[in-house]
Amino acid sequence: MANDAKLSILLIDDNDERAHAFKSALQKSRYDVVHLSSPTSGLLREVDALQPDIIVIDIESPSRDVLDSLHTISNFAPKPVVMFSDEEDTEIINQSVRSGVTAYIVGDTDPKRVRSILDAAVARFDEFQKLRKELDDTKQALEARKIIDQAKRMFMEQRGLDEQQAYAAMRKMAMDAGQKLEDMARTLITILKNLESGVPK
Amino acid sequence: MTDNYQTKPIVNLGFVPLTDSAPLIVAKEWGFFDDCGLDVRLQAQHSWSTLRDKLHAGVLDAAQMLAPMPIASSLGLSGPKTAVIAPMVLSLNGNAITLSNDLYDEILRTNDVAALTLPMASYLLREVVEQRKTKNRPKLRFASVFPYSCHHYQLLEWLQSAKLSTDDIDIIVIPPANMVDSLHCGDIDGYCVGGPWNAKAVRAGFGVTVLTSYDIWRDSAEKVLGVLSNYYDNNTDVVARLCRALKSACEWLEYTPNRFEAARALSSYDYLDAPIDVIAPSLIGSCLVKENLSPRHLPGYNQFFCPYKDINMPTYACGEWLLKQMVSAGQVTQKVADNFSVNDVFRADVYRQIFERKSL
Repeated sequence: MANDAKLSILLIDDNDERAHAFKSALQKSRYDVVHLSSPTSGLLREVDALQPDIIVIDIESPSRDVLDSLHTISNFAPKPVVMFSDEEDTEIINQSVRSGVTAYIVGDTDPKRVRSILDAAVARFDEFQKLRKELDDTKQALEARKIIDQAKRMFMEQRGLDEQQAYAAMRKMAMDAGQKLEDMARTLITILKNLESGVPK
Repeated sequence: MTDNYQTKPIVNLGFVPLTDSAPLIVAKEWGFFDDCGLDVRLQAQHSWSTLRDKLHAGVLDAAQMLAPMPIASSLGLSGPKTAVIAPMVLSLNGNAITLSNDLYDEILRTNDVAALTLPMASYLLREVVEQRKTKNRPKLRFASVFPYSCHHYQLLEWLQSAKLSTDDIDIIVIPPANMVDSLHCGDIDGYCVGGPWNAKAVRAGFGVTVLTSYDIWRDSAEKVLGVLSNYYDNNTDVVARLCRALKSACEWLEYTPNRFEAARALSSYDYLDAPIDVIAPSLIGSCLVKENLSPRHLPGYNQFFCPYKDINMPTYACGEWLLKQMVSAGQVTQKVADNFSVNDVFRADVYRQIFERKSL
C-alpha cells in the first residue's frame, strides 16, 4: 500500500485469547483494533458507529450473515471482511470466496502474516470497489444517453425540429435551469408525455 | 460387514440447526442414510454464508439450503458464480412473523382494537407506520435471516399487501439464534424466522406470533437439498441415495406420533440444543401465538411430505416463483431473470430419474 494512513479494524471474536494475540500482532502497525466479543443484534449499529476500514470475524460466527447482508440489502457501505478460520480447509475455501472482498486467515496469528493478509485484503477491496464504480459509472452513462435520446426524439416529433435543433434547445434549457442534461431530459419526457395524453386530438 | 462399512461413501452434509432440519436428523438417527448405503456426517453450521462458502469450496458435499440459495449461487449473487443444483425439496412452510410486545400493544392502541384477529392483516401495521411518521417517531425495524431467503420475501410481501416497503420499515439481517434477544432488548420490532425461534419468543413472553409463512404463501418450498452441479455429475449415485434416504425420512415424518419422537431427537445438544416445548408445537401443527392465548391450529405449519401430491419434486414453477421474488426484491433485474434457466437449478428431471427408477 502506498500510504500509511491509520486504518481501524473491528474484530469480532468470542475467543478472547485469539483476539488478544491478534491485537498484539498488530501493535505498532498502521492498524487500530477494536474488539467486540459475541455481538448480537447491535452489530450493524456498531459498524455504523465505528465505521471501521476492515472487519475481521471468525468464520464460524453467526454474525457472518449480518456482514454478508451489508452488500445486498442495507444502506451501509460495504467493508472488506477478513475471516479467521481454525479449519485446515482454509486454503480451499480461500480460492472460492468472492475475490476482492474477503480473504480467510488461518488460525495462527503470526504478526507478519496477519499484517500482510490485512494489507492484501485492503488493496484487493479498493481495487474491487474501483472496478465496481467504473462499471456503475458506465452503466449510468449508458442510461443517461438513452434518456437524452428519447427526450430528443419526442421533442423532434412534437415540435417538428431536426436533431441538431432539438439537442441545442435541450442543452440551452439545461444550462438556463442549472441542471444536468440528463435531468432536464427526464423532466422534458414527463412534460411531453403529459402534453401528448392531455391534449385531445 | 466390515468390508461393507468401509465401502460406504462418506457425505458431509451441512445444515443450520432449525426445526425444519428434521428430515436430515431423522434420516441420520433412524438409519435411513445407513439403509441407503451412505456414511452421512451432519455438519452443523452457524450461518448461511459459511454454509454456502463451504459448499462452493467442496468442504461440504451437500447442504440443506434456503430454497432461493441455489439460484443465488448460480446467478453469482451470493459469492462467486457457482452452479448449484436442487435435486429435491425438503420442506414447505415453517416460518412465521413475530412482533415485540411493545409493537403489539402499539398496534392495538393505534387501531383502537382490543385484540387482533389472526393471521394479522398488514393494514393494521400501516396505521402504526403512518402515526409514527406524523409524530416523527423512529421507523420500525424488522429482521429476516438472510437476503436470499423466503423469510425475506415473505416479510416484503406482507408489507407490500399494505402498500408498505423498505422505505417505511427497515429490514436488517440477524442470525436466527439472536432474534429473540434482539426483539427483547428492543433492537428490532419484529422478525420473520423459522422454528424454534417463534415459539421461543412466545414461551419467553417476549413476543406475539401474528402470522405464519403458510398464511402468506400457502405451501411453498422452504428448504431444498443443494449440491454443486459438478458434484452431482461425478457422484450421481450418491446424490440419488441421499435423496432416497431423505425422502424416506420425510415420509416417516408424515405420521404425527413420529413427529414427537423427532422433536425429542432435535432438542438434543448435538442438534438444536433447545427445549422440546419450543420444537414440538410447530411439528404437530400448532402455532403458539402469545402467552395465555390458545395456539392456532395449523396442520401445514411444517410440511415434509404429502401422501396425495408429490411436494418433494423441485418443479420449474417453484424455481420461477422464487426467481420472481428476487426480481421484486430488487436483487436481480428482469433482464437477468429472463435469461436465466431455472431448469438448470431446480432439477425436476434429476428427481424424476431417482424416484421413477426406484418404483420400476
